[in-house]
Amino acid sequence: MNIPQFNFDLIRNSNIWGILEDDHNLQANLFSFLIHFALFIFMIFSIQWQTKIPNFAEVELWDAVPTQIKNKQIKTEPKKNKQIKKIKTTPLKIDKQQLKLNEEAEIKLKKKKVAEKKALAKKKKFQEIKKLQAKLLKQEEIDKLQDKLLEQDKLDKIKDKLLEQERIEKLQDSLRDEELKKKPTIAIAADTEVLAGINSGELDRFKALIQQKIQQNVNNQLCGLDRVELEFEISLMPTGDLLGEPKMTQSSKIASCDAAVERAILQSQPLPIPQDKKLFKRLKDLKLKFHPNGHYDL
Amino acid sequence: MIYRIYSLFFGVLLLLSTPIYALEVIEILGGKASEIPIAIVPFDGLENIGGQKAHQIISSDLNRTGLFRPLNTLGISNPPSSDININYTKWSAMDAQFIVVGKVESENPVSGNIKITWSLIDIFKEKTVVSMRYIGKKSQYRAIAHKVSDNVYEHLTGSKGVFHTKIAYVKKVNNKKYSLNVADFDGFNSRPILNTTQPIISPRWSPDGEKIAYVSFEKKKPVIYIQNLRTGKRTLLANFKGNNSAPAWSPDSKKLAIVLTYNKNSQIYTINADGSGIKRLMRSNAINTEPSWAPNGEDIYFSSNRGGNPQIYKVNINDDEISRVTYEGKYNLSPSISYDGKLLIFLTNDQGKFKVAIQNLISNQVLKISEGPADESPIFAPNGHLVLFTYKDYGKTTKIGTVSINGLKRLPINVGSSIIQEPTWGPITN
Repeated sequence: MNIPQFNFDLIRNSNIWGILEDDHNLQANLFSFLIHFALFIFMIFSIQWQTKIPNFAEVELWDAVPTQIKNKQIKTEPKKNKQIKKIKTTPLKIDKQQLKLNEEAEIKLKKKKVAEKKALAKKKKFQEIKKLQAKLLKQEEIDKLQDKLLEQDKLDKIKDKLLEQERIEKLQDSLRDEELKKKPTIAIAADTEVLAGINSGELDRFKALIQQKIQQNVNNQLCGLDRVELEFEISLMPTGDLLGEPKMTQSSKIASCDAAVERAILQSQPLPIPQDKKLFKRLKDLKLKFHPNGHYDL
Repeated sequence: MIYRIYSLFFGVLLLLSTPIYALEVIEILGGKASEIPIAIVPFDGLENIGGQKAHQIISSDLNRTGLFRPLNTLGISNPPSSDININYTKWSAMDAQFIVVGKVESENPVSGNIKITWSLIDIFKEKTVVSMRYIGKKSQYRAIAHKVSDNVYEHLTGSKGVFHTKIAYVKKVNNKKYSLNVADFDGFNSRPILNTTQPIISPRWSPDGEKIAYVSFEKKKPVIYIQNLRTGKRTLLANFKGNNSAPAWSPDSKKLAIVLTYNKNSQIYTINADGSGIKRLMRSNAINTEPSWAPNGEDIYFSSNRGGNPQIYKVNINDDEISRVTYEGKYNLSPSISYDGKLLIFLTNDQGKFKVAIQNLISNQVLKISEGPADESPIFAPNGHLVLFTYKDYGKTTKIGTVSINGLKRLPINVGSSIIQEPTWGPITN
C-alpha cells in the first residue's frame, strides 16, 4: 500500500507563490477570508451559546385597577403633590469665579484630608513599626536572657555533673582503697553500684542524720582526754531499731568509753532510716567510727 | 566441653554483676559532757540507821561528780531489792540507764554487824553489771555506802571513786583559834589534828597518805611543818631565813618543793622530807611561788611574774628548763596538777572575779569551772575528777566546796558555820 507523501518541492516549485505575489486583490480577499475564518473559529469556541430553554414567568394582565386598592393612603398622595407645588423654587445664582474658588478649596481640602490621612496612616504605621521593633528588641533581649539562663543552667548542670563525678570518683577511690585491701571484687561491685545511680545525696543526708543522732548521746567525759578511736558494726531493722547488739570491732582500750559509746548507739534507737528500699539496703549494715575526743594530736 | 566453659563464664559474669555493697562508714566526731541518769532505789530492810539511808548517801556521792544524774526514786511502788525480776520497761520509761538496788540486813545480832547486799543493773542491756556484799559495824554504815558509790563509779567511769577518801582543811574561829581538821570527803566525821592560836595555811596531804605538810605562824613567821597522821608527831621541815611557805609533795612523798624568801624574792627550792638536801631550782629575779609537783616527778608547775603579770610556768628539775603554760587570761596563779598530769587547775582573774579554771594540757583548752568572785586554793581530788576549793561571797563566811571538772556541779561541803579555808585532799587508800 502506498502511503501518500506530501510533496513540498512541488509546492515550492509551483507558481502559486508567484501569482499571490503579483495579485493584490487576491491577497486582500484571502486576508479577508482568513480574518473571517478566524473570527468564526473564535465565535464557535469562545462564546458560550445559550442552549438551555429559559424559565419563563406568567404575568396576569388587568384591564382596570381593582377597586379594593382605593384606600386613604392613596388618597393622600395628591395632597403631597399640592405641597410640593407650593414650594417656590428659586434658581441659584452661581458665581462662576466663586464656584471655581470653591472647587479649588474643596480640592485643597480633599488633598489636605488625604494628606492628613496619609500622614496619620504613616504615623500609625511608624508607631506600629516602632512597637514592632521594640517588641522585637524585647523579644531579642528575652531570647538573649533565656539563652544566657539556658547557658548558665547548662554550665551549672555541667558543674554539678563534674562535682558529682568528682565526688563519685573520690568515693570510688576511697571505697577502692579500703576494699581492695580486703576483697577486690567487693570494691568493683561497690563502684558499679555507685555508678548505677543510688541517690548519693539522700544517702549522705541519712548518714548525716544517723551521725547527728548518735553523736548527741556520746558521753565523751568517759573517754579520758587522749585521742581515742572506736569502731562498731551495727545492723538495722526497717524500723530503725537495732537488729541484735552493736558489735565492737575496735576498742578505745578504755572500758568506760567503750561502754559509753555502746550506750550512745543503743540510746539512739530508732535511727533515721530512708523509706526507699534501695537506700535502706545500703544503710542496713553500718560501720560506725567514733572519735569521742576529736582529732587533736598529742 | 565448650558448653561447660560458657556456663562457667556466664556464672562468673552473673556473680560479678550482683551488687556486693561495701559497708557504709559513718564517722562520729566528738560528743558531749552529759550525766548518766541513774536510779538509786531505796534499800530494802534496815536501811535507816541513825537517820542515815544508804541510797541517799550513794545518790549524794554520785551527784557531786557531775557525771551522774540520780533520779528521784521516792514513792516508787514495790522497789526491787535485788537484780531479780527487774521491770526494765518501767525503768527505761523513767529514763534510767542504770539502777542500784540493795538490801540492809543484820548480819549478827550479837556483834551488831550489818550486811549490805547490792547490785548495779544496766537497763539498756538488761543485765547485772556487778553484785556485791559488805559486812561491817553499824558505825561504818556511811563508809560502806561510800564504798558502794566507789564501786558504781569505777564500773561506769573506769576511774576510781573518791567517796571513801579524806580531806583536810583549816578552821578559823573568831580570828583567835585555828585548827587543822581531817574529815570524810563530804565533811562528815570531822576531827581536828592540830589546834593552835596561830594561823595555819597551805596544808598538803602526802601522796602516800601518811603525812600532812603545812605552814604555821607559831614561830612568829611562816615555817613549814610535817605532821604524821598516825602518830600525830610534828617535824619542823623548813625554818630558813625569811618566809618558808607553799609546800608541795613529790609523787613519791620523799621530797617537797617549798618557797623561801631566803634571798630577796620568793624562790622555789626542793628539800627532802626529812629536812635535808635543800636545793634552789631557778636563778631569777622574778617571784616564783606556789609549786605543784607533776606526777612524772620531773616537772614542777609554779606561778611567776617573770612575764609581767602572774602566769603559770613549769620547770624541769633536772635541767631547769622553764616553759610558760597558761596563755589565756592576764592573771593566773595557784596551779595544781592532776594525778595523771593531763589537767591543770589554777585561779584566774576574770574581770575582777577570781575563778577556778581548768586547762587540758593535751589540747590546751581552758574552761572556767567556778563562778567566783573570791575563790581560792583549788586542789584536785585524787582521781582528778573533782576540785576542792575555797569560795566566798563578798561579806560572807569563807567555805569550802567541790566543783566537777566539767563545771556542771558545784556543791558545798558542810563542816559547820565557822570560817573554813585552805583545803587539801587525801589520796585514795585501800
